[in-house]
Amino acid sequence: MTTNGLHAEFVDRLERHRGILLKVAGAYCHRLADREDLVQEMIVALWRAYGGFGGRAAFSTWMYRIAVNVAISFRRREARRPHETGTASDAILQLTAPEPETDESLAALRALIGELDPLNRALMLLYLDDCPQAEIAEILGISATNVATKIGRIKERLKREAAGRSYR
Amino acid sequence: MEIEELKRLWAESNRKLEASTRLNTALLRQSNLRTADTSLKRLSRGIAFELVVNVAGIVLLGAFIASHLHQPRFVVPAVALDLYGIALVIAAVRQLAELGAMDYDEPVVAIARRLEQLRLERVRTTFWTLLLAPLMWLPLLIVGMQALFGVDCYAAGLPWLAANVIFGLAVIVAAIFISKRYGPRLGASTPMRAVADAFAGRSLKAALESLDSIRRFEEG
Repeated sequence: MTTNGLHAEFVDRLERHRGILLKVAGAYCHRLADREDLVQEMIVALWRAYGGFGGRAAFSTWMYRIAVNVAISFRRREARRPHETGTASDAILQLTAPEPETDESLAALRALIGELDPLNRALMLLYLDDCPQAEIAEILGISATNVATKIGRIKERLKREAAGRSYR
Repeated sequence: MEIEELKRLWAESNRKLEASTRLNTALLRQSNLRTADTSLKRLSRGIAFELVVNVAGIVLLGAFIASHLHQPRFVVPAVALDLYGIALVIAAVRQLAELGAMDYDEPVVAIARRLEQLRLERVRTTFWTLLLAPLMWLPLLIVGMQALFGVDCYAAGLPWLAANVIFGLAVIVAAIFISKRYGPRLGASTPMRAVADAFAGRSLKAALESLDSIRRFEEG
């Protein structure tokens, strides 16, 4: 396939799965400008790795792995950088500021995700996205048994959070 | 609320967000993604700059040592500076190699560990650079004054040299004290805070804790 053909195929797949980028960026960055920068970095990393994507895994699995890896790396480096305000027109994926969460449960869920360390945050995202356990294990690089144990803990925590809210 | 209901709400909320965004395919087609700037590229550039500066320093020191080979009082401080520079070059090369080997197609835990190890290496390098820098002041002064102006600092006498060593040690003690005491009051993203955290050992502690939390995540 020519570079142009590969690029067109990449853009098409990216368009169809752009939700993954949004979810990961939303989970790892709070500021809109940071999210746009992070999405841009994810796209750059995805395109650079795309030549090596041989369809060994589903495109979404591959995309998730790279997006989370970039997010973890980006977050660590950007934490030390002063905030720069980008312009919306030069962003590849133009984001809109998220509306304030009207559903109390969802707001609590987002807050809970925000409290987790980067690895558990990735696990939570994949779990909420209904990823099969084997796929989560492949993306994260841990055993399926370990994934099952951690999902059990997530469920317990979500139940506790929900119970805590219903008593308030 | 049931977990399945929470998952449904989550999916719905994300669908709404997805619908409100669009991929700028025109810009994506035009942009050269292979040459685009990224945070890792910026870090690599910074380390490469440090490497070039240190290599240049080593070359200049080599020339100085060669031209003062029979004057041990100049050769000894120059060799001390040279060893300091070589250690920094080795650290920079190792970091660049680690960055070059970073493959985002690896599992998330593996990349998280690589990033933390790189951070640990950077923190240790910064710590030792800062710690030894005040002690390197005297050799730098002796070599610099001789190389640039032909001035022999030993002529100032032993008390003057001893005062400089004591001053260097006092700077280290004061820097550690100030970093521990006032570092946390500095803004989290300021370069001064990064220096203070490195001096006080907070960065090292944080990096080691992160590595430990990755190990615990892996073990289950």
